[in-house]
Amino acid sequence: MKHHTASLALRHSPTPEWIAAMRARYPVEPAIDEIFTRKLGKRVELPEHSMDFSALPERLRAFLARETGQTDLKVEQVARLSGGASKEQFSFLLTWRQSGAAAPVAQRLMLRMDPSEAIVETHRLREWEVLRAMRGVVPVPEVLWLDPEGVALGRPALIAGFVEGTVRPPGADKMSGVGMYFEPSLRAALKEQFVAILARIHNLDWRTQSLPSFAVPAPGTTQANDWALGLWERAWHEDTLDAHPIMERAALWLRENRPVVERPVLVHGDYRSGNFMYDDALTINAIFDWELAYLGDYHDDLAWASLALFGCPDEAGTGLASSLMPVDEFLERYEQVSGNPVDRQRLFYYQVFSYYKISVIAVATSLRIAHGRRTHLDAMMNFASGLGYIGISELNRLLESVHP
Amino acid sequence: MGPEMSQFLSGMKKTMEQVVMPNLTDRFAQEQAGIVAATLGFLEQIHDKVFHYELLENHLYKNLLGEVVALLDGATPPQHEVAVTLVALRTQLATGNSDAHLRPYHFVRGANETMKEHLCTLIRNQPELPAPLRESFDALLRPFFRELEVRERAWVKPLGFDAKADELPDIDELLYRDGKLRLPGAL
Repeated sequence: MKHHTASLALRHSPTPEWIAAMRARYPVEPAIDEIFTRKLGKRVELPEHSMDFSALPERLRAFLARETGQTDLKVEQVARLSGGASKEQFSFLLTWRQSGAAAPVAQRLMLRMDPSEAIVETHRLREWEVLRAMRGVVPVPEVLWLDPEGVALGRPALIAGFVEGTVRPPGADKMSGVGMYFEPSLRAALKEQFVAILARIHNLDWRTQSLPSFAVPAPGTTQANDWALGLWERAWHEDTLDAHPIMERAALWLRENRPVVERPVLVHGDYRSGNFMYDDALTINAIFDWELAYLGDYHDDLAWASLALFGCPDEAGTGLASSLMPVDEFLERYEQVSGNPVDRQRLFYYQVFSYYKISVIAVATSLRIAHGRRTHLDAMMNFASGLGYIGISELNRLLESVHP
Repeated sequence: MGPEMSQFLSGMKKTMEQVVMPNLTDRFAQEQAGIVAATLGFLEQIHDKVFHYELLENHLYKNLLGEVVALLDGATPPQHEVAVTLVALRTQLATGNSDAHLRPYHFVRGANETMKEHLCTLIRNQPELPAPLRESFDALLRPFFRELEVRERAWVKPLGFDAKADELPDIDELLYRDGKLRLPGAL
């Protein structure tokens, strides 16, 4: 592909001066700045992403032997997992002596590893911290080991327990669109759990948890949104292959209308259908994809979870939040269960922000990493841009509704 | 020239779907092969419209930016980013204005990207414009944005993501009228 303008050439081959300018222009949390800056450095240095994982089992074994002090442990059945669009994921069987046990046992685990560049650039250490903080609060996989810089495994990674269950029910693709379809009995079984878990996430006193890589925004200011918007604007301007006036207009609106966050809560950042799992008893047994978690406004999760793009309508055509329940019902139940009031005007801001984020992910970053062949999912990353243009369209329609 | 691009694409899609995919046992490989097959199907539908899409955008951006330049002329001091962008835009609009249809694809694509970047710079600087001028600029953008988002959405409709696909025109309807590329104001 030709780089028709100076901006496109710099995005392709970032110079130190350009990277410094991006950092100065878009304020983000320090941990986010670290990984975004690292991403741009890698863009110049690294060749295209390799799909060969033949060396992984031995690297994994050596890493775990060092971490546990058990040189006789065994790593077997390393297999790439399907599903997901962000991180490279593998399951494997670890035979080892768990704490205090005399005899070795075989345990199925999951390795979650950064590709060379991801559809969202996130910090494994933050994911590790938030998963540990949520353990016992809501159902999450147990995280066991972390290689935050990729020193041992080649790329940043974390290892977690493998949870058995269903993410995508049979017939999930029955309806058109992105959202998966849950039949009525499933919806009835899952929807209250979905709301209750979100309420528990938001009502967690995160100050009592160990979250050192999360910057704490000043309450009663726009700082949480300054950082959040800075992240997504920076991602857009570092990654896009194509300037887009609607995205520029949307970013301006988002900057000029940033709400104050009185009481920052832990925001999941990607709470929706597809990111939870349920067992045979129809109990939600895992919430996944915490990589976008941050301290901010709970309306962000509410807007994201109720976005029409992620929700499949019911049989009568009514739009459902995360394919589970009508949006109004979702918001009312959330208010009742959490005690957190829903401000519709504020919710609108985060709906716009949600479509902005989707558009950044699916138009800018997905096409960028496919262009550079930086991921294990190059074909999917190109294909996903279709979602992004729907996002830009919806973004424009929302902004038109403010200023027709 | 032969075979036609559509023939290549349909042949590959059929092979992928009927030969490769049924014989894949790895779930990840199946998933990716399905995306490859779907991508081939998408390309089959849009490949012959790529140049005309860019040509239409070239025409529409030039029309819009011509109006924008006239509107914002003199709005800021000469050294301001808005004024500098307007100078660059005047140059851009003055070159290759009438023969874009004779140029190679990459020329048109590059010219469009340059115009988009200039427009984005002006949008980013809107807060520095006097309020009435900002409003007039917005008024120019709104109908342009409406057409733009529908056109882009129609373009990706064959990917199958869009729950509102039934409400959208096909890209052919947006590109062509009476069997010819639709270039408003050109004829």
